[in-house]
Amino acid sequence: MTDVLMAILVAGFTSGALYALATVGLSLVWGSMGMLNMAHAAMLTLGGYVAFTVITSLGLPVAIGFAGAIVAGALAGAILYFAIVRNLLQNDKSTFEANVMIATVGIGIALENAILLTYGGQPLKQPVSIAGALRLGPLTLPWQNLLIIAVVVVMMVVVSAALGRTRMGRAIRATAQNRDAAQLMGVAVNRVYLQVLMLSGALAGICGVMVSSMTQLSPPLGNDPMLKAFIMCVVAGLGNLPGAIAAALGLALLESFVQYALGARWGFPSLLFVVIAVLIWRPSGLFGHAEIRRM
Amino acid sequence: MTETRPMSRSSMSRSARTDLAISLMLIAAAIALPFLVDSRYILGQIVLALFYATIASQWNLLFGFSGIFSLAQMAIFAFGGYATAMLCFYFGWNVWAALVPGALGSVLFSLVVGLACLRLTGVYVALLTLAIAQTMYLLIVTDTECFVMVGSVCRQFTGGAVGFARFGDLGTRALLRAQWLVGNYAIIAVLFALTMVFTYAIVKSPIGLAFRALKDNPGYAVARGVNRFQAQLLVFGISAFFTGLAGGFYAAHFQAIGPGVLSMSQLMFIIAIVVVGGVGTFWGPLVGTVVLVLADELMRESGEFRTLGLGLIIALSVVLMPKGLVGRFGDLIDWLGRRRASPDSPDSKPAASSIVQSPTPAGK
Repeated sequence: MTDVLMAILVAGFTSGALYALATVGLSLVWGSMGMLNMAHAAMLTLGGYVAFTVITSLGLPVAIGFAGAIVAGALAGAILYFAIVRNLLQNDKSTFEANVMIATVGIGIALENAILLTYGGQPLKQPVSIAGALRLGPLTLPWQNLLIIAVVVVMMVVVSAALGRTRMGRAIRATAQNRDAAQLMGVAVNRVYLQVLMLSGALAGICGVMVSSMTQLSPPLGNDPMLKAFIMCVVAGLGNLPGAIAAALGLALLESFVQYALGARWGFPSLLFVVIAVLIWRPSGLFGHAEIRRM
Repeated sequence: MTETRPMSRSSMSRSARTDLAISLMLIAAAIALPFLVDSRYILGQIVLALFYATIASQWNLLFGFSGIFSLAQMAIFAFGGYATAMLCFYFGWNVWAALVPGALGSVLFSLVVGLACLRLTGVYVALLTLAIAQTMYLLIVTDTECFVMVGSVCRQFTGGAVGFARFGDLGTRALLRAQWLVGNYAIIAVLFALTMVFTYAIVKSPIGLAFRALKDNPGYAVARGVNRFQAQLLVFGISAFFTGLAGGFYAAHFQAIGPGVLSMSQLMFIIAIVVVGGVGTFWGPLVGTVVLVLADELMRESGEFRTLGLGLIIALSVVLMPKGLVGRFGDLIDWLGRRRASPDSPDSKPAASSIVQSPTPAGK
């Protein structure tokens, strides 16, 4: 019994860590720009494939593969800003939310398809993996899962330090709180947007490497984590980072328990029921604040 | 913005007359079409395009006119199709008898979706409806339990990954034999025409005004006595009827329905149609369908770049023409109108006219 319980907990925590990384990337962009990045899934996939290329085709060490994924993700974020977001921000503010969503959907499809055309549809094996497991008495913890949890924890610390301690982080938080006020206080809001998108892209790149190391590389790789990350964002309240991490871990554990108890196909529907229940009870998420608007 | 332009009585009737003229021309073209087109392939693609236009016009009613960004549109369409197919498959109903119950079923489904979204706004609606559609897809595809045995083959209740086939057709094959496709074309064209007439009636009615008011300024609309809950449920229900009906006809036309209609690329195609045509414009979905189906056919030559091109078209058209082709066309008409009017206007002295005629796009 304890074996099963441990297996469920390990699987839950690992996927929870991965979802948290995906969720934070999404939530960061939403919180500071009011933009839902539907291309996040494709950026995840991009990271996974870049790491694969760097390690397998170029034969470079794994650490450089990671760096490549980070750089590729950040670059994708920058391109997204210059090609799409900057232009849409010039239009009417009220249409930005819907327009940016549609535009990033288009970019996401195009990017996913470009990856499909470049690498083909057959699944590839991500070389970032460690065999074996850590044995602690009766417990068996695969190194791979521990690595993922460790990487995610490190990333979380880096992100929270970047947001909490640096000048850039202060500017990002100021913009998230009140864009107009931040701009009036001399924050270059456009540069903040660029930074946020690059940061979120870098997170997506790492997340893609980690997700693909658990499964396999395939062009629709990012879709499943992104859909779940969306749900977790909604449960937590969009734009709330600590809440997003808590929701990601909680829901991932729930998912692994349901998958064990009822079968794999009920994992995702159970998340949906939770999200509907939460939204009926608290429309702006568990940790979100109801927005009060002045007419 | 064209919406905020003061609408005088004469301009209203002028736009109504334009709409009438366009519809008459379209009806004439639709009647002439089967006589002009010989190719079965082209006629088949036109029937498919009519389905797209029907779904897109109803999504436009939901998003363009009411501002509800629902991503469950294909799920509602699939619900109608599946309901019709299942009624025929399990109970042996005639397809024609199953169409309206199927459509009413998707209205019920849509109302449930609408209820779940009732307290949400903006992207929360989009995310929840996307999750609902995705759940429906996953539950159908992963369904492996035997429900009935057909011969020696196990059938799942939802049809599983294969879906349903051979449950009956619209009866045109028995009636028209070789010309059955023309018969189906006529049926679907009438369905599309009815959908457009109905949408026009809704958009121009007080209910349509309430939808628009809620979209433009929810707080003000509610303060003026518009019931948001009622209006939102109403638009979910109304737009679902023709979507579900189109689903039923789709299943009947192709004599098959499967989980493929729920795929992300189908949904994106519908969204692209509305975005390229013009969100919140009456003719936008039709224009978008024509343009995108043509583009799709052209890109079919280059095969694998089709999806890539589609994605780029969506992104570019949002950036370059936020109001779609119809909006750009309106800008052009306004610009031409102003150019024609400016020589008679009082401030058309050479010095001032350069300011008046500066090429600022109309509607900014």
